[in-house]
Amino acid sequence: MPVRIALAQIAPRLGALDENLARHHELIDEARAGGAGLVVFPELGLTGYQLQDLAAEVAMRLDDPRLAALAAATRGMSAAVSFVEESGDHRLFIAAALMEDGEIRHVHRKVFLPTYGLFDERRFFAAGDVVRAVPSRLGVGVGIAICEDFWHLQTPQLLALDGAQLLLNVSSSPGRDLAAKNDVGLGTATSWRTLMRTYAQLTTSFVVFVNRVGVDESVTFWGGSEVIGPSGEPLFSAPLFDEGLHLVDVNLDDVRRERIALPLLRDERLELQARELGRIISERAGLAADSTADAGAEPGLDVAPRNVANGRPAEEPIRLRSRRR
Amino acid sequence: MGVPPRNRSDSARGAGELGHVSAARPLPVDDAGRPLFELPDELAIDTDVARKVIAGFIRGQLRQAGFERCVLGLSGGIDSGLVAYLVAEAIGADELLCVLMPYRTSSPASRADAEAIVADVGCASELVEITAMVDGYFGGADGADGAGAGGDGARDATALRRGNFMARMRMAVLYDRSVTFGGLVVGTGNKTESLIGYTTLFGDNACAFNPIGDLYKSQVRQLAAAIGVPRQVIAKAPSADLWPNQTDEDEGAFSYPLLDRILYWRIDRRRSTDELVAMGFERPLVERVERLVATSEFKRQVPPVAKLGPRTAGVDYLYPRRRPGSARP
Repeated sequence: MPVRIALAQIAPRLGALDENLARHHELIDEARAGGAGLVVFPELGLTGYQLQDLAAEVAMRLDDPRLAALAAATRGMSAAVSFVEESGDHRLFIAAALMEDGEIRHVHRKVFLPTYGLFDERRFFAAGDVVRAVPSRLGVGVGIAICEDFWHLQTPQLLALDGAQLLLNVSSSPGRDLAAKNDVGLGTATSWRTLMRTYAQLTTSFVVFVNRVGVDESVTFWGGSEVIGPSGEPLFSAPLFDEGLHLVDVNLDDVRRERIALPLLRDERLELQARELGRIISERAGLAADSTADAGAEPGLDVAPRNVANGRPAEEPIRLRSRRR
Repeated sequence: MGVPPRNRSDSARGAGELGHVSAARPLPVDDAGRPLFELPDELAIDTDVARKVIAGFIRGQLRQAGFERCVLGLSGGIDSGLVAYLVAEAIGADELLCVLMPYRTSSPASRADAEAIVADVGCASELVEITAMVDGYFGGADGADGAGAGGDGARDATALRRGNFMARMRMAVLYDRSVTFGGLVVGTGNKTESLIGYTTLFGDNACAFNPIGDLYKSQVRQLAAAIGVPRQVIAKAPSADLWPNQTDEDEGAFSYPLLDRILYWRIDRRRSTDELVAMGFERPLVERVERLVATSEFKRQVPPVAKLGPRTAGVDYLYPRRRPGSARP
């Protein structure tokens, strides 16, 4: 089943919701005119990324007429669109919606909010709690994730196990590390490319990565949007740093061929994983004895304090005064 | 924002079109065939990517602020020289004003180099001698004009006081020319001097934005060579030119490649002092560099405001510098 995917590698204007909405409408029209069945926009494409306290000012509820108008523009096609969502209880989420045939079909709320290095997302946003794949008019299940969600193995795995054959990652990834030794001149791009190819192969699914370009404050977003086939083979790589609407033809039947030849998903051991995760969760909470922890490790910690001088476990383990006997 | 180009997958260009080349590009050499400068391996950057990112950064800063032009102070040295080329590459030489601001003791060779850069870049330039401004405070060279505004004691001011004052006079000139030319003041300080505090607060570190503030001196040299800064500017010993024959490396008793490597491993790669010593760096030098970084922390940050009200700028009132409505109309 052939489908043409449009990658909208755009440079949203920070906080300029109306302007970005207009740009989305233009590009949806252009993608449709180009024969695309799916158009994918980057993380926070409607608002820009480095929002800080602006987040509350550009937030929309799911019943916002501006979102309804955008959804209405998707008749006969699918679109992934990202914005700040304000929930009924006034939490702000980084959200990405799958819009199809005039409706919002599914909303993914970013689960992993990086708050380290140059990132400060958890200060301004609430974390989503749900990872779900959804059926789509494209004929295959779609799994949406947002940027950092894909720096955690569980996200692509859960989406694929839940029925996704097409994984979408929408990103606002700031470029950094210009060391000359990097494959494509940018450390961030090199890391992401490794992840995408690995996930596509291990989930035997298509991976569509759409990353924004442009500048917010100090940081420059590097683009480099990609489509990776279910064998891990890159089918398309957009240029770094430049805006563009890129049309990529894929055949979704490749998923069946790959999964027959390489039945990795069939062989996943979910009950084993769930059992072991249950054990680790209990141990981390200090509710179960940890049979594989270092001698002398505190409940909930697998590793005992080390002797600073020789790197071996301390002979007299540190004991917390409050520790229960 | 123009209509973006459309690429079909069958004509896909690999993203690798940026990259691969810079690392292998040989360093420029002098007439005797010796490299113009030393570039430690770990500091080598992809200069094509750097130019692309910096050009987009400069255009982005201007657009967000509602400006189309830039002003910078051109000393004739490599840092400001490189920034002149980068700005011209980003927005065109017609939109750049370089201001040459010598003091009476400034090196004539610096001025000649600055003029060569202006001619090569093809931008506008202006000469503003700061001698009268500086001597008006400290007193004239020969004492004939009596004490300056700084009083009798100012005549004996140390070179450090004079150097800082000159840097702040140049800042004042640039911000005035920012109004007359209608351009943003572009910073020209590099990462090395910022980290060790070899800058004047509200002087040479004052700017609207800085395109090279995250590049070590060695990387500034690499980028300068790639973009075509004249060889004599790249090769000469860096100097703040605060007094005749001053050089940074004599004054600080370090070499830039060594200093850059210590800063890179200590800060960017989070190695401890002991790890640096184990790598072969001399402990006294490493510790001295650490002291310089720690004592200059204040120069790299916005001054703290006493927290009193419900929302305080920089503490819990956190907006992007540039947002809807912030651009000059």
